[in-house]
Amino acid sequence: MSEFNELIKSFAKSREYVRDFFVYGFKTRDEFDGWSSRTYDNERRRLESWLAGYVRQEHTGKAKNIYLSIDSNLLDTNPLYRVWKAKSFTDNDIMLHFYILDLLLRAPDQTACGQTADEITDGLLAQYGTVFDSQIVRRKCNQYADEGILIKEKTGREVRYRPAPPARPLFTAHPGLRDAVKLYQLASPLGVVGSTIMDTASFQNKLFRIKHNFFVHTLEDEMLLPLLQAMHKEQSVLLTVKSTKQASPRKESTPGTQETEAASRTAAQSPRFHETAGVPLKIFTSTRTGRRYLCLYLPHRKRFTNIRMDAVKSVKIQEPFPDYKNIREQLEQNKGSAWGVSFQNENRRHSEHVKLTLHINEHAESYILKRLEREGKGGTITRTAADTFTYETDVFDANEMLPWLRTFMGRILSIESDCPQLAARFQRDFLSMYHIYFET
Amino acid sequence: MSELFSEIYNCYFQVIKSLVEQKNYITEGELQYRIQNACFEESILSLLPGLTENGWGFYERRDGVLHSRLSGNFHVPLTGLQKSYLKAILLDEKIGLFLDETQIRQINAALSDVEPLFLPGDFYYYDRFADKDDYANPEYKKHFRTILSAIRNHEYVDILYESRQQRRLHHSYLPCRLEYSIKNDCFRLLAVKSHTHRNPKVITLNLGRIIEVMSTRIVAPKIPDINSLLRRSCYHEPVRILIKNRRNALERAMLQFANYEKSTRRLNEDTYECLIYYNKETEAELLIEILSFGPMIKVAGNETFLRQIKERLGRQMALGS
Repeated sequence: MSEFNELIKSFAKSREYVRDFFVYGFKTRDEFDGWSSRTYDNERRRLESWLAGYVRQEHTGKAKNIYLSIDSNLLDTNPLYRVWKAKSFTDNDIMLHFYILDLLLRAPDQTACGQTADEITDGLLAQYGTVFDSQIVRRKCNQYADEGILIKEKTGREVRYRPAPPARPLFTAHPGLRDAVKLYQLASPLGVVGSTIMDTASFQNKLFRIKHNFFVHTLEDEMLLPLLQAMHKEQSVLLTVKSTKQASPRKESTPGTQETEAASRTAAQSPRFHETAGVPLKIFTSTRTGRRYLCLYLPHRKRFTNIRMDAVKSVKIQEPFPDYKNIREQLEQNKGSAWGVSFQNENRRHSEHVKLTLHINEHAESYILKRLEREGKGGTITRTAADTFTYETDVFDANEMLPWLRTFMGRILSIESDCPQLAARFQRDFLSMYHIYFET
Repeated sequence: MSELFSEIYNCYFQVIKSLVEQKNYITEGELQYRIQNACFEESILSLLPGLTENGWGFYERRDGVLHSRLSGNFHVPLTGLQKSYLKAILLDEKIGLFLDETQIRQINAALSDVEPLFLPGDFYYYDRFADKDDYANPEYKKHFRTILSAIRNHEYVDILYESRQQRRLHHSYLPCRLEYSIKNDCFRLLAVKSHTHRNPKVITLNLGRIIEVMSTRIVAPKIPDINSLLRRSCYHEPVRILIKNRRNALERAMLQFANYEKSTRRLNEDTYECLIYYNKETEAELLIEILSFGPMIKVAGNETFLRQIKERLGRQMALGS
């Protein structure tokens, strides 16, 4: 039996566990599908080690469940970033990290000409009394040059390495940048990188708090990086996507979407995976529901689609897409007409008109009008009678508006739309709600 | 592009870097304390042996004290990924609250060897509110910087504020934190009102509604524990909701309410009970979030919350649904 290690080699498996513990938080050991008991025990122990202080336990009958309880308003940083700081390493990795940097920083000419890998190897023996293979030292130096920590320069046949400029003078010269990182590590995409900058430059955030941020998004950052890279270089991607739907009969595959071999092998098990090829254009983020999507253009179907970021399990960057700028421009023109992430409706119309009539006490409830203005995505608001207002808009898929329309419950006089299902669904849901509160 | 999941960012590496940067000797007791504070719960088991004489050799023991064998000038440069991130945040409109144009140009020049990690146009927040703060407004910038400085120095400020009801209010506050809302795209000040109050409460002020901020240069004698004050502001009774796991409602609800302190348990095959802790500030928001789920979520308590839901449904019925 291998010894337990709190550090991990690959992020993928832990990503699933942390998400399940954080998002669900009621699953007991038996409810974690697809993993052995040993795997569950190890992952749970790691989670308890990484996120001590945020882990809670509850006993439900005989079973115990652990979960992450995090009130994001109370935190100076995202605790889930800690998972990114748990990469395993070898003794050589850690020794060479500190020794190589220290040796190069000690050299009086550190910013001038640097040292060759052989000189560094000799220096490590002389300075620290430790023998390293020069090939291993060269490999580490090259890795650090790729990372940007070392600068690699070729002079004739010699390759020399020197440390990159220190971070501190940048932050000393611009204290505002330091404060900005404190905010952005909480508020920006890929905030975990900001958090590592705070580690590197040794400062902490005691200035900012965040609201309406979904900490769990950081678990998708390993997928986000290559997607951004592909977007900037206008390239296509091949994605492995996990089905986010609950178990359902297998659908006929569509062009450009094929089940992988691995998926076929495990077809009887959930979850299922498929491959999707397309052109990544934008990341669509909901500030309310916590959902985050990749907006992908499907050239074979000539349409946009959105794929949930938490379902993307791998990204392979493919060839450049020649018409990228044009397609991206089309998305910019169209995105405002999508209420959420849907670019089509079930009625085969280009767009659907929605007219909402509300009873609003115009003297005492002006905040409702304010809500329509700020949440209504540019829809038209009209006073039609005393205390009666209409809100009208045209969207690709009116059904996406249903959750928002429900938030005006208690004021809705009518919902009219050329999407016939919208008013019917609202009415059906309202009557169900009335029934469960007043008639059961 | 360098990797995000790399040992370079490992917290073991970070704690050692931080120790070496700060002092050239340390007792084993202090070393243990620092590891426990900065790393994971079980890190001490593997990290401590590595840092003693027979481990990685960063320290040598003399007279019972561990002396660093690394130079006092030790530091780790920023990686390409980190520099790309800095370059990306320089493109955000909020950066003007921290840096002026000249400073942004100078930093961009220092980062000239990398491309931004992301661009503002890469992301689209499709349900963000329209009435965002005006970050380019010079008055707003001034207020932001005065408050930031007061938080840093624990100084009281005098604030002239316009309430939602258009009433002008003038008070002395101790600013504690600036809260940024991604949904509203605005900043709010979390502050404690005046130092004379016996039971301080956290007050939330929208930065966009501040008319004037004046620094008092008076330092607070005691810094309040903002988290315990915020916790105290939560109602004793959480809202208790029952979630029917149909139309993927459970997953949607768990994700949407993930930022609240909550606990969930399964009641039967398709029903889950979730307790959500909230305060007065978030009550209306939580209410409409719950309403947005329709019949998939039933509020079972507390009484105040339940009454509000029933009142809205009763009103809707009366409107002729």
